[in-house]
Formats: sequence, C-alpha cells, structure tokens
Amino acid sequence: MIMSPPERTVAEGPRAAVTTGVFADLDTPDPLEAAFGDPLDAANPLGFAAFLDADERGDLLPAGERLLDRYGLGAEFVPLALGGRLDRADRLGRALRPLFRRDGALALGHGASNLVGGVNVWVAGDGAQQRRLADVLLGGGRVAAAYTDTETGNDVTGSRFTARRDGDRLLLRGRKEIVNNLGRAEAITLLARTDDAPGSRSHSLLLLDRAGLSRDHVDLLPRYRTAAVRAMYLGGMAFRDCPVPASSVVGGTGTALETMLRAFQLTRSVLPAATIGGMDTQLRTVVRFALDRRLYGRAVADLPHARAVLSDAFVDALVCDSLATVACRALHLHPRLTPLYAAAVKYLVPVLLREAVDEVGVVLGARSFLRSGPEAVFQKHLRDLPVAALVHAGASVCLATMIPQLARISRGWLADGPGEASALFRLDAPLPPLDLPALAIVASGPDVLAAPLWTARERLDGPLRALADEFVAELADLRAAVAGLAPRDRTPLAGPGSFDLAARYAVVLAAGAVLGVWLHTPGQPNAFLRDEGWVVAALTRLAHRIGRGEALSYPREVAVPELLARHDSGHAFDLVGRRLA
Amino acid sequence: MSAAPGRTLAVHPLLATALDLERDLGDPRDPGRVFSYRRCADADEREQFPVDVCRELDLLGVPRRYVPQEAGGDLDRYDEALQLLRVIARRDLTVAIGHGKTFLGAACVWVAGTPEQRRRLGEDVARGAVVSWGLTERDHGSDLLAGDVVARRLPDGPDGPDGYRVDGEKWLINNATRGHLVCVLARTGDRPGPRSLDVLLVDKRRLLPGSYLTLPAERLHGIRGADISGIRFTGAVVGPEALIGAPGTGLEVVLETLQLTRVLCAGLSLGAADHGVGLALEHARSLHRFGGRLADLPQTRRLLAQAGADLLLAEAVTLVAGRAVHALPGELAAVSAAVKYLLPTLVQRTLTDLGEVVGARSLLADGTHADGRFQKLLRDHRLVGIFDGSTVVNLHALITQFPFLGPARTRCDAPGLAAAVDLDAPLPPFDPARLALLPRHGCSLLAGLPAAAAGVREAAARGEVPASLAARVTALADRTADLLAQVERVRPSARDHPVEAFEAAQDVARSVAGAAAVQLWLANRHRLGEGPTGALWRDGLWLEAALGRLPARAGGAGAPFSASPDVAVTDRLARVLEEQDAAGYAPSLLPFPTHDALREG
Repeated sequence: MIMSPPERTVAEGPRAAVTTGVFADLDTPDPLEAAFGDPLDAANPLGFAAFLDADERGDLLPAGERLLDRYGLGAEFVPLALGGRLDRADRLGRALRPLFRRDGALALGHGASNLVGGVNVWVAGDGAQQRRLADVLLGGGRVAAAYTDTETGNDVTGSRFTARRDGDRLLLRGRKEIVNNLGRAEAITLLARTDDAPGSRSHSLLLLDRAGLSRDHVDLLPRYRTAAVRAMYLGGMAFRDCPVPASSVVGGTGTALETMLRAFQLTRSVLPAATIGGMDTQLRTVVRFALDRRLYGRAVADLPHARAVLSDAFVDALVCDSLATVACRALHLHPRLTPLYAAAVKYLVPVLLREAVDEVGVVLGARSFLRSGPEAVFQKHLRDLPVAALVHAGASVCLATMIPQLARISRGWLADGPGEASALFRLDAPLPPLDLPALAIVASGPDVLAAPLWTARERLDGPLRALADEFVAELADLRAAVAGLAPRDRTPLAGPGSFDLAARYAVVLAAGAVLGVWLHTPGQPNAFLRDEGWVVAALTRLAHRIGRGEALSYPREVAVPELLARHDSGHAFDLVGRRLA
Repeated sequence: MSAAPGRTLAVHPLLATALDLERDLGDPRDPGRVFSYRRCADADEREQFPVDVCRELDLLGVPRRYVPQEAGGDLDRYDEALQLLRVIARRDLTVAIGHGKTFLGAACVWVAGTPEQRRRLGEDVARGAVVSWGLTERDHGSDLLAGDVVARRLPDGPDGPDGYRVDGEKWLINNATRGHLVCVLARTGDRPGPRSLDVLLVDKRRLLPGSYLTLPAERLHGIRGADISGIRFTGAVVGPEALIGAPGTGLEVVLETLQLTRVLCAGLSLGAADHGVGLALEHARSLHRFGGRLADLPQTRRLLAQAGADLLLAEAVTLVAGRAVHALPGELAAVSAAVKYLLPTLVQRTLTDLGEVVGARSLLADGTHADGRFQKLLRDHRLVGIFDGSTVVNLHALITQFPFLGPARTRCDAPGLAAAVDLDAPLPPFDPARLALLPRHGCSLLAGLPAAAAGVREAAARGEVPASLAARVTALADRTADLLAQVERVRPSARDHPVEAFEAAQDVARSVAGAAAVQLWLANRHRLGEGPTGALWRDGLWLEAALGRLPARAGGAGAPFSASPDVAVTDRLARVLEEQDAAGYAPSLLPFPTHDALREG
C-alpha cells in the first residue's frame, strides 16, 4: 500500500464536481467532438460510415472539411496573442484528439500539417510574417510544410533545394515532393539552402505566399498517391529560379536549423498526444465487438486472453497519454529539457500505440481486415495512423536527436536536488505562457521527468517500490553506458548501441511520467486512475520492455472493469476521460 | 550443388525447381513480364483478381505441383512445394493466396480421400480446376464445432447411398466464387459434437442452378484483388462420392489437414519477408544521407541486418517444418501450430521495422516508388496471421498439447528428427495416416535440444564457433527445459485458458523455432559451410543472429521480437549478406542466384 503524501486527498463516493480546468465538464463532449456527432449513427453525415465512403473514393469528406471551417480549427494553431487559441500545448494535444478519433485524412491534412507548417513562424517570424500566417489560418486557409527533400529526407543538411540572393529577391531552385497540401495551401513554409558552406548555418526558412509565386517559374507536380490516408493531398512543386521577396526569410538567414530544433519540440509533443484519439477508436471498436461476439459459448469479452489484451492496451494508452501530456507541459515549465523529452515522445508513443493496436487487432480477427461492416473503421485507422509517425520524424530520427544529449543529462540522474516538479505532473495545474523562442536546443538541467523514480522511491512500497528500484538500476546502467560512448557514437553516425540507449531512456521517461502523474494529480476525479493498479501494470510493462523486472507481474485484467465502464458510458480511454459524442 | 546457367552460380538442389520457376517467370521488375510487380500493383489498385498471372502459372504447370504423385501430379516433397509457394509469394501475396489456395482446398482429399477420389481431383486440378475450402461461417468464425451448415443424408436409393443435401452458408472463404470445387465442413449428424461433422467435396459445376449462390466478394484491407467471398447452399445435392474420409470423421480430417496447410502457409510469410528485405535493401542502397548511402549508416545497417536475421530464422524454421511433414508426421500438430503462430507474427513485425528504413516512401502507391510495393506488402501480409487458423487459434492448439510436451510423455523419434533437420537425408513419402490430432510422444525437435546444445558447446570448445553462441544455445535449452516441465503440469480446460497459458504457448513456439534452427545448423554446417553461403554457416553466424531475435521471456509487454542480437553479430551479418549479394546470391541460407546475377550470366 502506498503511504499517501500529505497533499493527496482521496475523494470518497461520487466525485466532487469540478467546474473549471482539465477535469471540468467531463460528462459533456468537447465542442469539436460534439460537432462531429455520434460516429456509429449510420445517418450521421459525419459518422464513420460517411468517412469510410469518402475514403473508398480517395476523397476527403466535404462535410468534414466544412465542419472544420465552421469550427475554426485553424485558430487552434495560431497563438493567443495573434487572435488564435494556441496557448497550452497539453490542451492542444487533447483538442486534436477528436480529429484523430474520427478520420486520419482530416487529422493529418487539416491538423498536423497546419501545426507543422506554422510553428516555425511562431518561433522566429517577424511581426508581419506572423500576422500574415495567422490571417491565413484564422481564415480557414492552410499552410504546407516543405522542409525535407525526397532525395535527402530527414538529412536536412544535405538539402539541394537552394535560395540564391539576387538583389532584394531570392531565387528558388529545386523540387519539393511528397508534401502535404503543397499546391493547395495558401501559405508555404519552406526550407532552403542559402549558403554553400557546409555546416549548420547554411539553411534558411521561408514563408511564401502561394498566390504570389510566379507561374512561369513554378510547376505543380502531379499528386502523389498513397494507399494509406488515401485522401491526403500530397503534392509537389518544382521551382526554376522562382523569385520571392528577400523578406520571405523567417528568422534571419542561416537560422533554419535552430528554429526547427525549437519548433519541432512542440509538434513532436503535441502530435503523438493527439494520435491517442485514433487508438481510442480502434480499442473501442474491439471492445464493442468483443461484447457482442460469441465464440465457444462465451462472449469474446469473457475470454481471459481477450480480456488481458484489452486491459494491456488501455494501460498502454494511459502510458502514452502520461508521457505525451507531461512532455507538452514541460514545454511551458521546463524549456531547457524539452529537446530531449519531445524526441522521446515522438519515438516511443507511436511504437506503443502501434503494438497495442496490433494486439487488439488479433482479438478482432478477420474483421480487422474487412473494409465493410461495423468494425471497418479499425482497418482504416490501422492503415492511416502510421502515417503520422512517418511523415514527421520517424523513430530513427528521434533517437538520433536524443543521442548527443544523453551525456549531459545523465550526470544529474539519481542525484539529490530540487524537490519533485509537481506542477509538471499535475494535470489540472495552470501553466505559464508558452515561450517558443525560449526553448533550448540542447537539453540541460536536472531531469525532472525521470526524477520521481528516484525521489519518490522512499514513499513507495510493495510492487511500486520494486518497480522504481528497477528503473533506478536502469538509470545507473544507462549513465555508465553513456559515459563509455566514443565521441562518434554521440552523433547521427552513431553505432546502433547508442540508439538502444536512447530507446531505453525513452522508456524510463515514460515510467517517470506515469509515476509522476499518479503521485501529483490529487484532483483526479476517476477512482481507477487514483488507485495504484494501473500504475503497477504500466510500470511492469515498461520494465519488461527493457528486459527488467522479469519476476514482477501484475493482474492481467486490472483495467477491464474501467475499460468496459467507459465503453458503456461513452468516455475516452485516456487520463481525462471526457465524454465522447 | 547443381550449376545454374551462365556464370558459375550454384543452386541448392532443394531450390532447383524454384529457380526454374523464377527463370520461367522472369524478372518481376520487368513490366513486360506477365508476373511483374507492375501488373500486380495494377490489379491491386483496381481490386481485380490477377487472372493473367494465374493463367501464366497454370501454363507453367504449377497446379500439377499441388497434386501428389499418387494422384497423378508432380508433388512429391512438401519442402520443395514450400519453396515454390515462396517464389510466388515473394512476388505477390494476392497471387500466392489466390492461386495457391487450390493446394490448400484440395489438401483434405490428399489427406483423407480414397485413391479414386484423389485421382479424380488430381486430374481436375492439373487441368486448372480451382478448389476452395469452406470452413468458417459468419457467426462462428473459427469455432468449427459450432458450424450451422448441414448436410442431411438422403435416404438410400435402389443402388445404395444417395448422397447429401446441403444447406447453409460459409463466409470469408477464399475462392468461394472463382472456385469450381469447394471442400465443405458440414454437420451430417443430429447430435452435437465432433462426430456429427463431415467433409464433402462439392463440385459446383454439378449442382443444380438455384441450389447455391455465391456471396459478393468482401472489400479487404489487403490482398484487395483476392476473391474472399462466400457460398450459400439451399438444397444443394451431392452424391455419396462427395464424402471425404469415413463418416463422422470430418472434424478430424479438417484438423489434420490444417496441420499440413499451416506448414504450407510458412511459404507465404517467408516470401513476404524476402520481398520486404529486398525492397528495403534496394531503397537503402539508392538513397544518400549524411554524405553516404543510407545503407551504410550504422543504425540502418543494423535494422537491415536484423530483418535479415528474421528472414534467415523464418527460412530455417520453414526448411525444417517442410521436412517434418515427411519425417515427423505424428508431431505435425505441434510443429504446424508453432509455425503458424510464429512466422506471420515475426514477419509482420519485420515488415513494420523495415518500414522505418523505407521511410515515408513506404506509404506511396503506384508508380511513384517501386510500384507502391511496400505498402501493399504490409497490408497483404496481415492476412496471413488471420486465416487458416489465426495466431490465437494456434496458440490455443499448442495449449491443448501441453501435457504431451514435457519429459514425462516425450519420446524422441531420433531417426525422424535426424531426417527432419539434415537437408541431405532421404525423406519417406508423406503418409497422411500417420497424422495425429495430438503429438502423443511430444515434439522431437524440442526433445533433441539438450543434445544439440551440447553439440554446440563442443564446437565452441574446439574454437569452431564463438563462446557467445554456445551461451545463447545453452540458455535456450535451459529455458526450454524449464518451460516444458512447467507446461506439462498444466491441465488445459475445455476453453477458458488463462492468459499465462497463451504466453507459455508463445514461448513453446519460440522454443520450437530455436530448436529447429540449432539442429538445422548442426546437421548441415559442414556441407553448407563450404558453399557460396558458407560464410553464414561456418562459425554459426546466422544461428547466432537468428537466436538473437528470439527474446528470453514470454509475451507480455512490448514486441515479442524486440530482442536484438549483439551489435557485433549484426554487423558481421550485414557484411556477409552484402558479400553474398555481390557474388550473385539472394539473402538465404541456401545458394539461390538473384535475377541480376542470372541476367549477367
């Protein structure tokens, strides 16, 4: 039994009504979710059936796009100061979940790409640039993010797309291919090489106005088709010494990499948080199937193996939500650490979600493969959601980002230091404003996200204590291993051993997030989440993932009652658990 | 080794007919060929059955290879048949599943039919008849005992039994519509339970119009052009000769035949792995990152080498499983369940991991990149883990075998085991009469593991293999011994197995795979150590890499295959596979020339 730290209160009986903040209005769907309406209602023009139909045609659902216009989704990506609604990263991650719950194409085409496209301008753009982009997004327009080259992919330093100075203009030359909404978006943010010298000051970001591009110097390339997210518009443009004003440069010539290293911390934290919505739909679909379907004389939902799989998936969703939400909060509270945390989130959350989905797909059986029928949304999400992982920084890129930062942060592990950063973990605590330019490029400082594992250890006993001990041992091993890395193994050319270290560390961070959230959210209204059962399950699973705690186990159906209850009452399978449409 | 034409390229005898088929089909990258990637991508895009490709396979005599020699066909060795299926699968899974289905559909008759029934069906298949297998139903899935399709015995006529009247619907049946014949599992008796089930070979061409209806093809996530449809019988009458096997033995016939077909499905996953690795290698070699080829970045090399290790592991298991059909038929229940659980799961994970190498391009369809092959492969292969016994069904099967797998009941069939793992040993003809629902004397592959581990330790002591390999094999043997002692004590209930039992079954499957790999290596390392793939064999390199992909603990959190072999091992494997490729050979344990090499020769 855990000995309660003094500030925790355990609410008995019906939960106290919370009127503001994260835990307010849990029994009413959030406005975007409500606007989409009941996904299972065949008559709903925005239900799953409608989206599936559109997908079969390879189109975005027009009703879906109109809804996002009416809702003013663009404002979610514009900072408060410019007239938008972007103020808290954790809130944004949750606000985008209804999109990912409903349709991957809409989510990626209208959500992800506008976020990724705009964020560099919020970091480094001047007043006029920010105003222009804000107006585009607030007016329902789109911005395409043309950062990578197909030839060199995520090796942006190898980019061959150039912008050459010509008086008070720049001449753009090269191709941008497989870019979401390129050719249809009103604004384009684009990465170009502005200097032939090697090194990190040779690239610049530009904000371009699509309508202003000279038709004689730009060719639209044919749309690239995908099998996944069939409706996503992936375009390309070929620039032939296309003139653009020199004032298109965002943040000063040569500052692109720095800007991107900051900006992507936001996107890499928010997007994984949002994709949990997609997994929610898939898990919900399988729960519904399992309750209805009878095999061997029982409902599938009564079979122990199926129950364990469903429980594990729900627990993993909570792990992902813990890590992603805390990383989003860290952007506000600990901007010197987020270069590391954001990469860890973008690496680990897609892996955990994908594996959970594969496991529950086995329960669904043949119906996980059919494009028709009540479970058809499962295979559509299965096809679509990995796109979110790949299109913006895949696993190897994220790990490569983490590697050079491990040495410094590892020195602070297991050290006594400032107390636990409870504001970081407390889901309903307020946050200072997001200051994107203040985000560090290389992480430094005490590792507040991992810290609960060693600072709270003394307060734990039983399985939680044993688990904390495992992670403490892991941190000690990691620190020694990192110290032993050769210099080359701290770069993108690093040997695979370094990648493994980074991957293991990401798992430790997830454990820290889970423990931290549990310890520091006394206002959590949900009894299941206040209880330690899910934490034991989550930490055990994370430990097993890195080959530790083999002797430790957890009740395999621990999350089933809560999962079924939320399915019945229509609440989300995440840390907040708000009502769905 | 026999020599392939052109430069002095060798091909392993087991793969000789496979190589012939590859040569006849030509380079799949050549859009002018019938069985080209381009044509398959087009058919998939339009969700059309690849009729032309199947016809090409018919013209090349492939259907004859689905028919045993005693039924008038060319099928002699199932391990060779597996390699043929692999050739087709590595080009296109829709074709492999759509064309190869006849093999699976007819298998009931090869297992339990009379000589006359086999001969008649054999002729039909050799002439191109398509056979499908009607097992599953909409409301019962793979719960075969609960089936609702009935076949009422008609009253005897003046000349004896008059046959059956079939009513009911089978659903999600591969080739139910295209097929000319369908092997149906139906309820012939009134009492509930297995004794009331029978298999009937229904010839649709001989049914009265109106007595059956094929259901529309389902729209699928993958193998989009395949005919996965259904058939509804309303008073369809078949003659007494339609009954396959003795009356009341239908379920037994199906379960035993599934042992055979589940082994054959290994060819599908193996081909898919071949394809995926080939695509990723192509991609990594053509792209540049950070001043060099993507393929040369250490992390990419490692990802590719791990996929290579998965491929070699899958190949090793397939080689042994195919031989086990002949050499250890009484144990096929264990081997087939292990293989049908493990390989699709392993290969789906391999393909997902390779997606990381292929990157965003893996999402593209059509001509933009490699004909969109990668995303199609990912979607197509998912089905292999679902049909003909899903992963759960196969784990369930292993659980019911637990009491037989431990030391108390196991009696190692030493000659059978030796024949199963020694690629040069003669194999007896496949004898379906020796198939059994349960492996009453355990699994010889598992039983042979302790001695095999000793063999590897001896090799290490002589300096022939690294100590690290001996340690891995010993750990596998020890873990397996503990596992078998534990599962032997499990009393499987009729249905509600706890999740721990499923995880133990996963461990059993992994031990079977590991045991197969170890013993395959021991039995063949000297001979194959001297050939063109010798560098994989000589110091146990492939074995060490493959075993590194089998984790030490059961299921539970995370990917079952998140283990990694030593970085040094994967590095060496990467280099050896590169050299093997430069010499003109596919990434395989056995010498098999690549199309590029054949062309140059």
